[in-house]
Amino acid sequence: MSTRELDHLIKMINQIADNIAIGEDEEIAASKVSDHLNRFWARSMRAMIVAYANGEIVAQESNRLNPIAQRATAQIQITAAQP
Amino acid sequence: MLKYFDPQRDIDHGKDYGTPPVITVAAARGIDQQSRELVTVNIDGQEITVPAGTSILRAAALADINIPKLCATDSVEPFGSCRVCLVEIEGRKGFPASCTTPVEAGLVIRTQNEDIARLRKNVLELYISDHPLDCLTCPANGDCELQDVAGEVGLREVRYGFEGSSHLSAVKDTSNPYFDFDPAKCIVCSRCVRACAEVQGTFALTIEGRGFDSKVVAGQAQDFMSSDCVSCGACVQACPTATLIENTIIDEGQPEHRVVTTCAYCGVGCAFEAELKGDQIVRMSPHKGGEANRGHSCVKGRFAFGYATHSDRVTKPMIRQSRSDPWQQVSWDEAIEFAADKIRSIQETYGKDSVGGITSSRCTNEETYLVQKLVRAAFGNNNVDTCARVCHSPTGYGLKTTLGESAGTQSFDSIEKADVVMVIGANPTDAHPVFASRLKKRLRQGAKLIIADPRGIDLVKGPHVAAQAHLKLLPGTNVALVNAMAHVILAEGLHASGFIEARCEMPAFEAWKSFISEPRNSPEAMAEVTGIPAIQIRDAARMYATANNGAIYYGLGVTEHSQGSTMVMGIANLAMLTGNLGREGVGVNPLRGQNNVQGACDMGSFPHELPGYRHVSDDGVRKKFEAHWGVAIDAEPGLRIPNMLDAAVSGTFKGLYCQGEDIAQSDPDTRHVEAALGNLECLIVQDIFLNETAKYAHVFLPGASFLEKDGTFTNAERRVSPVRKVMAPLSGKADWEGTAALSNALGYEMNYNHPSEIMDEIAALTPTFSGITYQRLAAEGSIQWPCTKEQPNGTPTMHVDSFVRGKGYFAVTEYVATDEKVNKRFPFLLTTGRILSQYNVGAQTRRTANTDWHDRDLLEVHPHDAEDRGIVDGDLVQVKSRAGDTVLTARVTARVQPGVLYTTFHHPDSGANVVTTDNSDWATNCPEYKVTAVQISKVIDTSDWQRSHRQFSDTQLGLLKNAVEPV
Repeated sequence: MSTRELDHLIKMINQIADNIAIGEDEEIAASKVSDHLNRFWARSMRAMIVAYANGEIVAQESNRLNPIAQRATAQIQITAAQP
Repeated sequence: MLKYFDPQRDIDHGKDYGTPPVITVAAARGIDQQSRELVTVNIDGQEITVPAGTSILRAAALADINIPKLCATDSVEPFGSCRVCLVEIEGRKGFPASCTTPVEAGLVIRTQNEDIARLRKNVLELYISDHPLDCLTCPANGDCELQDVAGEVGLREVRYGFEGSSHLSAVKDTSNPYFDFDPAKCIVCSRCVRACAEVQGTFALTIEGRGFDSKVVAGQAQDFMSSDCVSCGACVQACPTATLIENTIIDEGQPEHRVVTTCAYCGVGCAFEAELKGDQIVRMSPHKGGEANRGHSCVKGRFAFGYATHSDRVTKPMIRQSRSDPWQQVSWDEAIEFAADKIRSIQETYGKDSVGGITSSRCTNEETYLVQKLVRAAFGNNNVDTCARVCHSPTGYGLKTTLGESAGTQSFDSIEKADVVMVIGANPTDAHPVFASRLKKRLRQGAKLIIADPRGIDLVKGPHVAAQAHLKLLPGTNVALVNAMAHVILAEGLHASGFIEARCEMPAFEAWKSFISEPRNSPEAMAEVTGIPAIQIRDAARMYATANNGAIYYGLGVTEHSQGSTMVMGIANLAMLTGNLGREGVGVNPLRGQNNVQGACDMGSFPHELPGYRHVSDDGVRKKFEAHWGVAIDAEPGLRIPNMLDAAVSGTFKGLYCQGEDIAQSDPDTRHVEAALGNLECLIVQDIFLNETAKYAHVFLPGASFLEKDGTFTNAERRVSPVRKVMAPLSGKADWEGTAALSNALGYEMNYNHPSEIMDEIAALTPTFSGITYQRLAAEGSIQWPCTKEQPNGTPTMHVDSFVRGKGYFAVTEYVATDEKVNKRFPFLLTTGRILSQYNVGAQTRRTANTDWHDRDLLEVHPHDAEDRGIVDGDLVQVKSRAGDTVLTARVTARVQPGVLYTTFHHPDSGANVVTTDNSDWATNCPEYKVTAVQISKVIDTSDWQRSHRQFSDTQLGLLKNAVEPV
């Protein structure tokens, strides 16, 4: 993983959170974001953003996810990579 | 005998009926077409019934009585100047011209008698007295209407002689690379002038002088190249003599057979007759029966076909271990085996998901379908994407969310009924020229035009066409604009409550209504954001909302933004709000960029969707494909192009099969793309040229042009049209055959004898295509999907009684400013686009004489900004963004606003995409090509990237030139 790849994913999920559920309460917004990611993001991308949200990525600076995005990561489906 | 005319059955598109069908005449005069009556006349003893308003000339032609004519042709309105089509009408004086005389009930008409014959012969004598008698060596020989008519009237002598004044020594204009203008052969019938005005709408030609001095001139008596002429060729097609004639015909003579096929340039999808001698094309003529183009074309489709046989074509498969090695020419079998081995070993080492494919929006539906099938079935993942990712993916997302189907709602014919047309972020005269001509025709009939564009595109003000409103918004503020328009429509009660209540989800509408009604969405509040005075937004909103038929056409200026998908939904909201959906003359119309980008999307090229826009996680759909394909399909979405590139840089994505796509030139942030391509262990490129991407490849599979294969393209109006093979593939295999071979080598069997079998499979698995077969396409010409049991004849207009998703959905479209903002370091906004003569990355058009119009990409700079920085026309200017910098030649023009710059990306050396950034649409990752914050400064040399790109490119072309031939 390059930092650039992770940077893109962080930017993308924050952007989705900013755009997808305007005016909705945080819970609905978060579920719309996670639903979007489950539908449009490949499993490797989802795994990476969840790892980031959980602080599992080494040498990570302060968490840059916005609150809705952070909350959404809890509902993202994680599936094992194909062998 | 009574002959009743049926326009569906009785029109022979190969025949010239002399004047256009009356529908055009009626529409032009604002007469309701539905209420026109039928009229019966007697022509030479035959009774024929035709719509009122039909000319006698056309009525006769419909009854197969073909009155000689010269100045009349059915692509333009009658003119009555040549006096050849004279007839006699019982009870009336004189001999009226049948082209300008409409039928009337009970007329008894004679088309031939002694008087008429003498009159016609005399007219021809006058014409021929000032016409060269070089018929046998004339390029129009075999296709000259003057010669035909001279034959028909039995001209045997010219009593006036050939002495005295004449036009025979008039000088030929050979300035246009595709056709000559030889005024010595001109009969001043004005067909060219009228075609330029009525069909093309450019008004570049006129008749100068009077009487004997009358002559056709281009522009202000200029040569064709320096006039306003856009080289669409409508004049050449209309010319009855050799005055305006294609250079290919001058060089090679008349064609001996014709094959109807579909253009491989833009998403208009014009039908053409490929005119051939053997397997050599001598002319491409727009097909009159083509329902997208109705007999018209542009400079690309008609003339720029020479690339297909250009010497740069690579026709042998090639392989190499590394990109510093010379290419090795090998057999197809060897290349395929090499590629399959690499893919297999990558997947063994890095996992199943480490490879993917890119389908081509320039290839056929069948080929695109096969590539995604190969990825899903043979690679075993969903890592497949297509160039729609970087153009209209937001259209797919936005229209699916709001209306329920990822496609435009109308036919191009629909424009003929529009009263107010709103063009947003599109430049039809350059990018969709034939649609632009049809639009301009409607505008000349009185329809109103609203343009939302940061730049002064040609449609803003042209000959006999002017936009009532030009909303010059700042790049990146589309959503603010569309919200403000919706705000006005609601606030002023101009919305279609009945339509909304009957057709849309009310809770969503109510939620949206309270959002959009907030004062922060008013034009006054948004004026500062958009840069458009509030009153202009209000006026435009009123104009659109109060139109009988309001139609929206949009392009990449809508989609290629961080809020591309939001804007598409905003447009759909606007159309639903005003009830402008579900009938002719209205709708939401994405102008698709490439010839088959609609088809590529339809065919399951997106990583989350199987053919027919059905999500891969849908078990029922997947099972249907699994049963047919005999293989398990991954239920997880795959990587999109930008994600593949990121993963390639990270080192988790190692192998890519790229068919007919040049991501190294077309995708944003070139240096990132190059880094990704450089990191791949196996890049397989299938293309007709060694394009920029192929310079990074390990395997090159030679592609086939659209002339070398059978298949179908789907245009922006969902029209599936046949593509026909007129010559054998230069490499021995059509693209679909190469894909099938690769799949077979990977152990997943694909056995097709002909693309029609692939279409049968598509139809069996995709409900919206279920009624489409090659037999029907051959019989009917084209079919617009959905073509189902319920809609057996296809669907010209979508969402007629209800939306595809059931009730229309108003999505809340909050304006969120892009991160790409101007600041002190980057004080300008750069936006990119296209130009008429070039197409996309230019791989095709750069290899034709179209470069005579556009041999390099220019940077448009406003005069104020130019003065500020001491830049004059022709200066080299560095354009620098946070992604990179490049150097372009400046063109100082007020077409752009102060603070805004514009360039095109047709030439690889320009490096326009070195400057564009990694910003993208929030929903689809479609890059934000239209907004890049940049700085400019005058420089004296090209950029580092340009120099290293040149060096790399030269090295790669050297490796191609020195390719090792098989022993």
